[in-house]
Amino acid sequence: MLSYVLFRIALIVPLLIGLSLLVFVIGRVLPGDPAALAAGPYATAEQRAAVAAEFGLDRPIAVQYWDYVTGLFEGDLGRSIMTRRPVAGDLALYLPATLELVAASLLLAVAVSIPLGLVAGLTANRAPDMTISAGTLSAMSMPQFFLGLVLQLVFAMWLSLLPLSGRLPFTVAPPPAVTGFYTIDSVLAGQWHTLWLSLVHLALPAITMALAPIAMITRIMRASTMEALQQDYVRNARALGLSIRLILFKYVLKNAASATLTMIGLYVGWMLGSTVLVEKVFDWPGIGLYATNAILNQDFNPVIAVTLVIGVIFIATNLIVDLLYGVLNPKVGDR
Amino acid sequence: MPNLTRRDLMAGTAAGAAAMTIGGRVALAQQPNTLIIGNQGAQTHFDPHGGQDYPTSVIIRNVYDGLVDVVGMPPRIEPRLATDWTVSGDGLVYTFNLNRDAKFHDGAPVTAEAVRYSFERIMAVGRGNNWMIDGVVGPDSIRVVDDHTVEFTLIQPFAPFLQVLPWISIVNPAVIEANEGGDLGQTYLLNDTAGSGPFTVARFEPENVIDFRRDPTYWREGGGNADTVIWRYVRENTNQRLMLQRGEIHMAVDLTSDDMSALEGAPGVVRVIEPGDRTFSIKMNTEHGPLSDVNLRKAVSHAFDYEAMQSVSGFADLMHGPLPSGFFGHDPSIDVPRQDLDRAREYLAQTAYPEGGLTLDIVHVVGLEQQRLWSLVLLDSLQELNIDVNIRPSTWPDMVRMCESPETFPDFFSVYLGVSYADPDVIAFAGYHSSRNGGWQNGVYNNPEVDALIEAARFEPDEARRAELYSQIQQTIVDDAPDLFGVVERAKVGLRDNVENYEFSPIIVQAVSFFPLSVS
Repeated sequence: MLSYVLFRIALIVPLLIGLSLLVFVIGRVLPGDPAALAAGPYATAEQRAAVAAEFGLDRPIAVQYWDYVTGLFEGDLGRSIMTRRPVAGDLALYLPATLELVAASLLLAVAVSIPLGLVAGLTANRAPDMTISAGTLSAMSMPQFFLGLVLQLVFAMWLSLLPLSGRLPFTVAPPPAVTGFYTIDSVLAGQWHTLWLSLVHLALPAITMALAPIAMITRIMRASTMEALQQDYVRNARALGLSIRLILFKYVLKNAASATLTMIGLYVGWMLGSTVLVEKVFDWPGIGLYATNAILNQDFNPVIAVTLVIGVIFIATNLIVDLLYGVLNPKVGDR
Repeated sequence: MPNLTRRDLMAGTAAGAAAMTIGGRVALAQQPNTLIIGNQGAQTHFDPHGGQDYPTSVIIRNVYDGLVDVVGMPPRIEPRLATDWTVSGDGLVYTFNLNRDAKFHDGAPVTAEAVRYSFERIMAVGRGNNWMIDGVVGPDSIRVVDDHTVEFTLIQPFAPFLQVLPWISIVNPAVIEANEGGDLGQTYLLNDTAGSGPFTVARFEPENVIDFRRDPTYWREGGGNADTVIWRYVRENTNQRLMLQRGEIHMAVDLTSDDMSALEGAPGVVRVIEPGDRTFSIKMNTEHGPLSDVNLRKAVSHAFDYEAMQSVSGFADLMHGPLPSGFFGHDPSIDVPRQDLDRAREYLAQTAYPEGGLTLDIVHVVGLEQQRLWSLVLLDSLQELNIDVNIRPSTWPDMVRMCESPETFPDFFSVYLGVSYADPDVIAFAGYHSSRNGGWQNGVYNNPEVDALIEAARFEPDEARRAELYSQIQQTIVDDAPDLFGVVERAKVGLRDNVENYEFSPIIVQAVSFFPLSVS
């Protein structure tokens, strides 16, 4: 088991090298002149060259890449050519915002979709299932940015129940940074009002992002539950007189969960990518927006850093999912 | 079993609904003497010499002081750090007397030495607004006469000199020196300030929010009651509008024409729509390809449907020639091309394509709907001449790259030019002087006669003769037809009606001066 985990972790290294090489080369072969952009419209040729030299863009790509990789091992992600700020510092600021949003959406998605899917599976082709299936279908066909705008319109503009955007009201200072998650940090600092405010601000973006996964996971869960209910062991257990609740929670749920778990693992990656739109609509200061701005300015270092970070998180999540299979299903556990 | 689940479900739903209602109107809570401004300017530093975007201008106007200030409409120069000044007859020597009350945020007086230090710093950094004094102020230009008198001897006369001074901030030499860090304190100023201006910074989250606080010991008299100004980055202009409507923000500085129309009659909202500071033109490739023939450029200029352009531009005015109207030097008597298909065909007959039958490319910034609409107007207009237009959306970095040479420059190039200081020189020099060739403001156009006139107008101290030079410049450029002179977009600011003492100024409209503002 341990060697399997170590093997999987070791696998991250070549993946990251490949990923960084790819982004690095694509960034460099694209047309465009980031140094000229960063130096500004009035810069002379010498000033543009000075910016290029300062950021090493005048050297061969191989040398630039080598410097970048050796810098990585010292925790140096380089500086943004546009803002001149260190990328590592920027990520420390924006990544927690995105992760908090993704975590909240994921929690919401799981908490809602698993019971829903279970109910739908148990009541297959009867009224509750029909209702849930119709709901999930329409939820799946709703584009995210549109959903975000509709939620804003209804809950923020018309009903004034929830805030329009942002992580906290402008006039409220964030809690002292420990994890960068405002919810956790405000608990650690005992600032209950700030906790409340950050939860209220999380609500709309988290719902927006969770809706599509809720629909999808519900459907998978429904199918898995229906399939599990057909199994001989369920009929057997019922014949033996086991209580239906025991069968459901001890056996059916566990067996139905495997496929769902894969889905959840994949959705982490999907959510990290789709935060871009949600972050824009809700003014959520996360890495999605950071990366978008960087891409538009051909600001390589932030783009590479964000790609690598998303890559690491995605790989790590899927590792955790694979390990959880072992817990759910002993057949895949020992290797 | 289904019963159990159903009950659970309903309980869950009820709890969710309850949680949502308790949310309340939480975001609407406001604090006294606090002004919130929504903007799309991603703030990333506090170095007044390190940028030329509008967020930098916000810092320049509010955290730092310049020698003079520019305020109002039409823009006028007022004293700031300098109480008064004299200019020598040849326009070369400027002597400024500094206000003796002026103090940096650490209490140190603002001296002539600090002025000298700041100008030398911006020249050494070589970025930001340094271009405004490039070739005008050199390392030997500045002499400290005494603690409160500083003298500039310009390399050559430069008529707009006073107009650029509001944008060259004076920094605290002691603070920079103590945090020099081998890069003139540029790293230090990513998160800290070294100014003498009316506001200091209490909290900063890059590309998110700045909490400005009025300095209670500020050396200038007066000012409004807005003691806290929250400068809040709102990425979507629609969000800015909605927040303004809800009263979550007091000002929105990046509204579009659509937003302005939507805000008409909105309770509690005041719309400010004034002559703007940004021109839009379609530049033509005067050096390479079919449009290097002036007759084809004139044919296009007379075929273009200017009225259609204005009708899709929202709050905007058609340009009359290359310089924005409303500024000194603009000559309204010049005959500029308007749609006249007969004249267009006359010009076309003198080209290598008397029957049309060619395709020209126009490039615009991908995603900018306004630029796409203008490209469509061009496409539609040129069909009359049997000229096809290929519309190519492109990213801005690619467009900058296209400006490198006449061979890479497209037939038509869409470009906005901002008026960064209140003088026609800023548009004339950036947009039409050949020293800008290779950059996006003026990729290819060059005419030695225009160059000479622009230089003469820069150096001419006499206003009347200057105006005459600008007339000649405009006439010559119109004769060369290097651009389709487009529109000047109106500046659009939304205010809540409880904001007081806002004075509109067309120079970098988004960089609001907080000093006089009050909230009631």
